[in-house]
Amino acid sequence: MKRVAIIGCGQTKHGIRTDVNQAEMVSEAVWKAIEDAGIGIEDVEAFAVGNMQGFGGIAHAEMLFADYIGAYGKPVQRVATGGTVGGSVAQLAYYQVASGMFDVVVAVAWEKHRDSAEPGATTGLLHVMFANYSYMLKKGMSMRTYAMLGMAGAAAGISAYQAAQYMAKSGCKIDHFDMVAAKARRNAAKNEYAHLKWPNCKPEDIAKTEMLIWPMRFGHVCPASEGASAIVLASEDAVKRLKPERPIAWILGVAAYADEEADQGESYQGTGVLDYSAQLGCILSAKRAYERAKITEPRKEVDMAEIYQPFPHQELMFSECLGFFDEGTAWKAVEEGITEIDGKFPICPSGGVNATNAIGSSGLQRVLECALQIMKKAKNHQVPKDVRVAVAHAWGGQVQFNTVTVLGCDPLR
Amino acid sequence: MRIGIIGFHALPLTYDIEMTREESVFEAAKGALEAAGIEREDIDAVVSASSDYYDGRTISNSMLIGATGAYLKDETKAEEDGLFAVLYAIQRLRTYHRTALVVAHTHSWTFNPHKVSTFMLDPLFDRQNELLNDITLAALQANAYMHAYKVSEEDVALVALKNLRNASRNPLAYRRLSGITLEEVMSSEVYSSPIRELTMAPCCDGAAAVVLAREDVIRESSIDDPIWIEGVGAATDRYIRDRNLLEMESLSIAAKKAYAMAGVTDPLTQIDFAEVTERFAYQELMIYEALGLCQKGRGKYLIRSGFTERDGDFPVNMSGGAAGGDAIIATGLYRLIEAVKLLKNGAGERALVHSQWGLLAQKNIVFVLGRE
Repeated sequence: MKRVAIIGCGQTKHGIRTDVNQAEMVSEAVWKAIEDAGIGIEDVEAFAVGNMQGFGGIAHAEMLFADYIGAYGKPVQRVATGGTVGGSVAQLAYYQVASGMFDVVVAVAWEKHRDSAEPGATTGLLHVMFANYSYMLKKGMSMRTYAMLGMAGAAAGISAYQAAQYMAKSGCKIDHFDMVAAKARRNAAKNEYAHLKWPNCKPEDIAKTEMLIWPMRFGHVCPASEGASAIVLASEDAVKRLKPERPIAWILGVAAYADEEADQGESYQGTGVLDYSAQLGCILSAKRAYERAKITEPRKEVDMAEIYQPFPHQELMFSECLGFFDEGTAWKAVEEGITEIDGKFPICPSGGVNATNAIGSSGLQRVLECALQIMKKAKNHQVPKDVRVAVAHAWGGQVQFNTVTVLGCDPLR
Repeated sequence: MRIGIIGFHALPLTYDIEMTREESVFEAAKGALEAAGIEREDIDAVVSASSDYYDGRTISNSMLIGATGAYLKDETKAEEDGLFAVLYAIQRLRTYHRTALVVAHTHSWTFNPHKVSTFMLDPLFDRQNELLNDITLAALQANAYMHAYKVSEEDVALVALKNLRNASRNPLAYRRLSGITLEEVMSSEVYSSPIRELTMAPCCDGAAAVVLAREDVIRESSIDDPIWIEGVGAATDRYIRDRNLLEMESLSIAAKKAYAMAGVTDPLTQIDFAEVTERFAYQELMIYEALGLCQKGRGKYLIRSGFTERDGDFPVNMSGGAAGGDAIIATGLYRLIEAVKLLKNGAGERALVHSQWGLLAQKNIVFVLGRE
């Protein structure tokens, strides 16, 4: 197993990108990352790519612009795992290098909704199980049962259940979601690549927004952004050979444990997860990623985290699953300002997914943002504390996939 | 570190399968674990291969976690041909994991694969002219190739005939036409000239799985007769508009990498047979050339002379290839499994496995397998 470092980062402005097409947007991120690494395209041996192809209406979009991103004649491996796809792309690139098969790899993930006249061939969380439900309706499931399966609200719908379950378990209030959302918007205002920026946003501002589905307000929900993120990964040998004369960040450990989909187990395994906020997959992924990163006490050793939080309760819930707070107590840390940019344990100083959600890009952006913090290149949203170890998390699937990536300023011991 | 194949299972290829996606994936995964003689608990990593477009749903692996046995395991999904999932599994085995399960499936009845090919087109122009899809594109390439190298329709039909004859002996094949003749191939329905019904692979339903393990694990558990992955290579070409359609350049690059890794300097003498993914019969001639079995434009002589027949010097697609049934994403795994079976049955010491992805084989991947 080879040690792997991130030697370059590139991301586009995220938001509504009618000014570029998918090829232009993705290649912008790739070439920025290559330039940031101070290498040439000839040094890149392979690519790891991914997005949610149905959202943009182009199947295997990377094939259209393989030569735009310099992939001609090189292996391109594609993964797609829902919301986690960016995290999965980062982990694929990690394995490509750690396995010793390639020395320098570019990982790129993106989302763009507008190029094709046929987006939505497979859009939204509803379409995850739509085929199964039609089958069950055909077999005699009543419309009442269908409605009670409660998936009609897609990602926001299922997350509302999750938020309610989390509130019941932890005793936190909607006010705490307002605080997390306001922090995300404030932090995003300092990040030049973010989408929903709101300088000096206060929890009261979020509390004024309309209640969409209890306990979720309009101000709690992430935007549908477009954008691309790319990182350059290199083996230890390549780092020595290429001598990037700038800071680098090391990947210490990765894991992605899959849980059963949050539903009634109707895909025959019968283990359906009923508490969507339990997130056993995240707990296991974190445990194994820390083990692989040789981290024994995450609370002492980890300095900050980028958590995948399209909805604010997820920042609280996942920060507990990742071992940063005791179960059901993360909301107290938010009250105390511990997770602010200048707090003791900053979470999502970039504004996170709550402020910018270009699905494919989001997971990889978490890894990229952690790398920037370690390299001290995050500019206006650089956390004041010294970041030696950071954790990047992504969430996806039918609330059942989690990727956990541990980064550090020093290589794995 | 060497990686070996210790178990495999493939469902018979069929159309309008009377099974759900979950059921067929479960059958394949369970069968492969049984063949390897291990339990679900012994598997460290699961890499599935499926695509949101071909499955007609978002996050195609989301509801397959139980079926692939990936529940509470380090899991991911490669969204392309199953051989790329095998490549990813190898990368994982060389890093942390000891054993890995790879499962791939496509149910062609869910979402017409030919329709999916139009979603791979550039949406700004190529898709909107409503002229192009995988079949018409293949017709353009076939015409260009046949014109440039004076390849006759009969040469192409000979490839189809060889593969269909081989497929008729393969119990897993979907299209089994016993006693097929050259005339029948050459008079089959024209889809887009010169592509005919029988010179094209039929899309069908299938699921397949393989279990891979690290060499130390295989030695520890004294598994008999594993098949070793000696070399692997993959490469990507440019989009259809921007490349030379007379050759499969990315396949040449991929093959060279795989040969180098396996220490193969002369494929014709050092490799005994090949299992390749030819979605259209003419492609197999181009594949011969890209694999270095002959020079550019000379693929026709290999088929004319019977060099690649099952009793020839270098048999290609003894299983019938994709002509016997094309379960899109699973096709690479079917080729791999057929090659493993042939090696185990003593058809040779070393085999080549190929699969492709994208419009006109934009991406290619090659494995070299060996018995010891």
